[in-house]
Parts: sequence; structure tokens; C-alpha cells
Amino acid sequence: MKRLEVCDLTARRGSFELGPLSLEIEAGEIFAVLGRTGAGKTVLLEAMAGMFRGDGGRVLLDGQDVADIPPGERGLGLVYQDCGLFPHMTVRENIEYGLRMRRWGREERRRRSAELMERFGIAGIASQYPGTLSGGEGQRTALARALALGPELLLLDEPFSALDPATRQGMQAELLRIHEDFGCTVVFVTHDFAEAQLLADRVGILLGGRLLAVTPGAELMERRYCAEVEEFLGRDRN
Amino acid sequence: MRSSNRPRKRRRADGFSVFAIVVALLVILFISSAIFSIALGGAPGFFENLRSQELRFALRLSVLTSTISTALVMLLALPTAYALTRTGMPLKRLSSLIIELTLSLPFILLGLALLIMFSSPLGKWLKAQGFAVVFSPAGIVMAHLLVNLPYAVRLVKTAFEDSDLRLEFIAETLGASRFRSFLSVLLPLCRSGIVSTAILTWSRAMGEFGATLMLVGITRMKTETLPGSIYLSISTGRNDAAMSTAVLMLLISGAALFLSQLAAGRRRGRKRVERR
Repeated sequence: MKRLEVCDLTARRGSFELGPLSLEIEAGEIFAVLGRTGAGKTVLLEAMAGMFRGDGGRVLLDGQDVADIPPGERGLGLVYQDCGLFPHMTVRENIEYGLRMRRWGREERRRRSAELMERFGIAGIASQYPGTLSGGEGQRTALARALALGPELLLLDEPFSALDPATRQGMQAELLRIHEDFGCTVVFVTHDFAEAQLLADRVGILLGGRLLAVTPGAELMERRYCAEVEEFLGRDRN
Repeated sequence: MRSSNRPRKRRRADGFSVFAIVVALLVILFISSAIFSIALGGAPGFFENLRSQELRFALRLSVLTSTISTALVMLLALPTAYALTRTGMPLKRLSSLIIELTLSLPFILLGLALLIMFSSPLGKWLKAQGFAVVFSPAGIVMAHLLVNLPYAVRLVKTAFEDSDLRLEFIAETLGASRFRSFLSVLLPLCRSGIVSTAILTWSRAMGEFGATLMLVGITRMKTETLPGSIYLSISTGRNDAAMSTAVLMLLISGAALFLSQLAAGRRRGRKRVERR
């Protein structure tokens, strides 16, 4: 079953143009969008989330145009590289935000946030504000907030690139556990080949706003590609 | 630690820096001499004049009309700035241009525009319904509103533009409606900017003269605001009363500036923490 379909999508940002680009992502899949900085990865991810309407084409979520679904009903969890936490709310308030918007009772909210904080090892920082958190704590909080409502699609924008190597490794393992426990489809953006290879079922290589290849994650470094992709992967074609 | 022990290198003063410093000192001297002349001229009879019924009336009327107009300005500026920065409102660029244009117009001209508007058949009808604007205290609020609304919209718009759009979208994906996301994310994020806008708007309303003069005139103990009181006192040769009112206005402006700086300081402080 297709969770996400990107059909001939184009998006302009000043002189940069994304697409036209088509892509299908299956339910339950982990998909990595791999590319250099400025390749349009974040624009693509935000278009998938329906944050803006593209200049052409469309994005379908479970067969329905994402623009026609209210953001709260898209079943999305969104996590940015800089976490995107609400700076005026504590860790607990951030995690409970979605539950509060869905009018969960106070007790239920407390129980759910406690569960998630326990799960992500952030129970000790429940009353802290985002400005005082380390990179890893911030990412765990952002993941807990995104997962609180059990999203069907988790969109992650370079979630681990700002973390130190040890924390990054821990968070990568955490992502695989989340995928297993929550059973959600995961799309993440990265510029790290090893990360894409390690975590993703499939990898889409995005360069200069064009999707040049889609390949199984395990075969990322084994396949042969066009010259542009070969150069990006740091390989000499000859 | 090492860098703090390193001796500080003194920048050699170049010709242009010296010129800029001299000009800056002259500018500050010019501005502060104006402030000091008010303070020195008004200080002697200040407490005595403060007891005068006329000054108290002017103070009460100014505070009341400025507070009402500031509340109205903020109530209108917040949704307007939201529409201009967050929605696909038609003629958005033209609307922004109109606001910018109004900002550059002299206040007396804005007052004249209001006078023409409220002297029209519609204005006369409003008066017949009990909403008199021309030559009445309600006109003072109206004058403040027209003078300050574009200013407040611009400041709030800047605060909204500086705020991270992604956070509002995240709030919406978590189930918040546009309005809830506005209330629970955008407003708290821009709180300092909004508070300092409100304080500056109130302070400007307290000092507004041109538009008020044109729309309601200045009638003693009826439509006499603090700036109007200075004008009346000077016109009737009561210079000491005018100076005392000026000192009072100086104190009010100083307090408003201090509060708005405090609000802005909080905002800067929070940004520093976020960047850590």
C-alpha cells in the first residue's frame, strides 16, 4: 500500500527549482532522501508534509491530495535538525502539546508524556526549557512530541546531523526501534551516505533539485549511477 | 579563559571614526540640551502645578484616551499583521504600501482626513446615533487610532516575520487550528515585541497633538490632553504651567521607554539562550 506519492512535483525558491519529481513511498517503509546541502531535500520534505503548495504537480497522502487534508488530520510527525521545539514550553509541555490540542484529559496526558519521557530517557528534564537542552535531549524531546499521537508518517529533516558521533549512533538505533515499535512510515533527509545505507530500506538521491536515483539502502554503494551521482558518492567512474 | 588573559589590542583611531564620534557627541549634546531645558525650566514649579485642576484633567484625559486607543490599536494590529504575514490575503502588497504611506504622512493631515470623514453624511448620522467624534473626547481616541495603527501594524508585522513559521506548522500538524496555533505559539513567541509595541503606541498616543488638534480642537477642561495643555498654556502666556506639563510628559515618556527597553531586553536574552 502506498503511503505517499509525489507526482511531477515542482517548487521554486528564488533561483532554485525542485523537480519535476515523482516518487512513491510504501507504508511501513524507511526512506532516505540523500543529497548535498542545497539540493532541495528540506523543500521536498516540507512539500511532502504539505507545508506549502508546490508550483506544479501534487503530493498524495494515502491517495488524497495532502493540500486537501487539514494539517492536524494528516497523521504526521515532523522533526527538524534544530528540533523545532516550542521555546516557551517545557519538555513536558512540548510533548503534551498535541494531546492538549486533541483535548486529552490531564491525567491521560500526564500518563502518555511520562511513558514517552521514560521511553526516550528524558524524564529527568521534564521541567526544562528547550534553550537549556543538549542536542541529543532536544532531538529526543522532538521525537517524543512527534510520536505522542502515534503518527502514520514520520518526517525527519537531518535529525542527527548536529549531534556528536556517539549520540548520533544512539539516536540512529533509536530510530530503528521507533520504526519497529510504532510501525510508522519514516522519511528522513540526510547528507550522510553511511546513515542512509544503515537505516533506510530505500534511498533517493537528490542533486540540484532533481531525483537522480532511487535504490535499496543496502545496495547504495554497490550500484552504478550516472556521472553526477558517482561524483557525489566520491567514486571515479573509470 | 586564555582569550580573557590576552591583552586587548587598542584599535587605532582613524580619521573617519574621530569625525563620526565628534558628530555623535554634538547630536547628543543638542538632544540632551532640549531635554535639560525642559527639566530645568519645569522643575521649580512642578509639584505646585501638579496640583492644578487643569493639569490633572489633562493627565486623566490623556491616560484614558491613550489607554483605550492603545487597546483598540493592538486588537486591530494583531489580526492585520497576521493577515499580512501569514495568509494569502488579496492585494497584500498594496495594503502594506498603504500602511507605509500613512506612516510618512504628517499627523495634522491624518486629522484633516478624519475631520472630512466624520463631517460627511455618514459622520453626521453617527453623531445622530450618539457617536460624536468631531470636537468630542471620542475623537481623540479616533485620532490616536489613525496615527498609531499603521505604526503598530508595522512593528507587529516585523515581529511576526521574525518568528519561525515552521513552529506554527508543527503546531498545526499536532492538531492545533490556525487560531490555536496563533494563540499558543505565535503570540507567546512574539510576546516581547508585542508588549514593547503596546508601550510605544501608548507613549505616542500620550504625545499625539496634530491629528487631535485638527479633529477635536483643544477646549479647556473638555478636550484638553497633555500636549494640548502645553499649547493652551503657551498661548495664554502661562509658561511655567506649560513647562511643568512638559516635565510630566518627559517623565511619562522616560518610563515608557524604560519599560519597552525592558521588554526588548528580555527578547534579546531569550534569543541568546536559544542560540546556545
